[in-house]
Amino acid sequence: MNTLQMLVVGLSLAGSYALLAVGFALIFATLRIFHIAHGTVFISAGYVFFVLHRVQGWALIPSGVIAVAAAALLGLAIDKAVYLPVLRRGGGMFGVFIASLGVALIFEAGFLMYTKGVVSVARTDMLDIMMVGPVAVRSIDLAVLSIVAVVYGLLYLWLHRTWVGIEVRGLTDNAPLAAVVGVNVDRTRNHIFLLASALAGLAGVFSAYDMGISPETGTRTLFVAVVAVILGGMSNLLLGTVVGSLALGVLTAYAGFFFPEWVTFGVFITMILLILVRPQGLFG
Amino acid sequence: MDYLLYIGALICIWIIVCVAVNLVVGYTGMMAMGHAAYLGVGAYTAASLNIFYGVDYSLAMAIAALCGAVVAVLTLLPLLRLGGLYFGLATLGLNFVFFDLFHNLGPRVEASEGLHGLILPLALAAPDTRFATTLCITVVCIVAARHLVDSPLGRLLRATRDRPEAVDAVGKNPTQTKIVVWAVSGALTGLAGGLYAATLSYIDASLFTSTTSIAMMVFVGVGGLASTAGSVLGPVLLIAFTEALRFVGLSSQFVGPVQQALYGVLLILLMIFRRQGLVGRYDFRE
Repeated sequence: MNTLQMLVVGLSLAGSYALLAVGFALIFATLRIFHIAHGTVFISAGYVFFVLHRVQGWALIPSGVIAVAAAALLGLAIDKAVYLPVLRRGGGMFGVFIASLGVALIFEAGFLMYTKGVVSVARTDMLDIMMVGPVAVRSIDLAVLSIVAVVYGLLYLWLHRTWVGIEVRGLTDNAPLAAVVGVNVDRTRNHIFLLASALAGLAGVFSAYDMGISPETGTRTLFVAVVAVILGGMSNLLLGTVVGSLALGVLTAYAGFFFPEWVTFGVFITMILLILVRPQGLFG
Repeated sequence: MDYLLYIGALICIWIIVCVAVNLVVGYTGMMAMGHAAYLGVGAYTAASLNIFYGVDYSLAMAIAALCGAVVAVLTLLPLLRLGGLYFGLATLGLNFVFFDLFHNLGPRVEASEGLHGLILPLALAAPDTRFATTLCITVVCIVAARHLVDSPLGRLLRATRDRPEAVDAVGKNPTQTKIVVWAVSGALTGLAGGLYAATLSYIDASLFTSTTSIAMMVFVGVGGLASTAGSVLGPVLLIAFTEALRFVGLSSQFVGPVQQALYGVLLILLMIFRRQGLVGRYDFRE
């Protein structure tokens, strides 16, 4: 196992983190919602994909598309059914956070009953591996990384070239002012939840296809993504999440190889230290 | 009958934990979400002192309470300047940090994942005496906590929660108050950890995870924030309900997930309809 190989493993982990992190950061930066259930959305897409592709035997692309669409709708539904009622009855940021934990608990329990804790791997065949010099690269990693690159490119265009994107950035800067100058906050909110949840769904499909998922994967992966967001900072959404996810991906790949017992410890110590030392992130 | 006594002892232990959590969350308004770590510190301290060094269990429990207080204060000190959500997030992170510590460094008995084989004194050895002892300790804890919140210190706690700048203005130190209440809370949780180890007779790291901390929050949240009656009501109602599920004939394989889903539903309903809990006098602000 050489250093370069570990870097490749880290990059492939970073792909999923980046998809999850950017949606989380988008929601947190614009709406001030600490969306723990984002991990639930991620894992639910993975299970939809698993059921369609592996259990029902559907083709790859349609199952993936349906899973991503289901994730987008689930994210929107969580906002409508849980967060908005809490906020409407005077709950604050912490109330929404706890309600979000509740959503995560319910779904995790459901998946636990369905899977009995067994890891679900959605792919039916072996992954093919190419040798690039001394490094083994799996074709799925290349696919994931190129999709992530495309997604980030589109996100950049969306945030900087479309009207909705400008409204989203306005909400990030100053939400009350954005509402005053005529941003349709409710509509923008729906856009944000649909988009962020679809990205989480994409990450869920990849994870279910590649390494497989188990009920607690969702919250665990989300926390790594949260640490990536805190590391990168939220003032520059795209740059921050990319750099944070890459750092966390490489870090967990190295730690997972040398100290597999201490990966969680490392991630959360990093999180606590970051909150203490630099809560605004590296680029804040 | 033994099983009912066992459940009774567990309810008592969770009442002590809830009293401890309520002191910091309800009365002082700090979003503590990492008390499973202190519970684990107490349980591991008491059990390993007893198993490996032959320390008498009542002394071991006293040391466990002390360790709980020390660890609680040590983990609080760096986090003191955080507020609101960031404080909650950091304390939630403590669960994962301590889980890995217990799991990787915690002492274990040969050929098992955790600790068992406690040498218990008569007062904790049999189910009936254990229940009686636990109940007595719980009552003492409740009375002590009531005295604390009705004392000048208790008033200071609520003032620190509601108007920290006013506390500063009258010459009291809100930071010092927080440290004191955190030490009391850690000591109670550590003591509960010692009782927990004695009641379960086997402990390992999987008992002290973020799920445990979330369960504490559900108990306190349902019962009521900033209310001793709430600390008692929450665990009594919820544990009795879960055990009732078992008696109705739900297969034990499903009890865990059903309980977890129930906690999730309760958290959401609480946050929407009644943020202060059943008999609470403070709600999750911000």
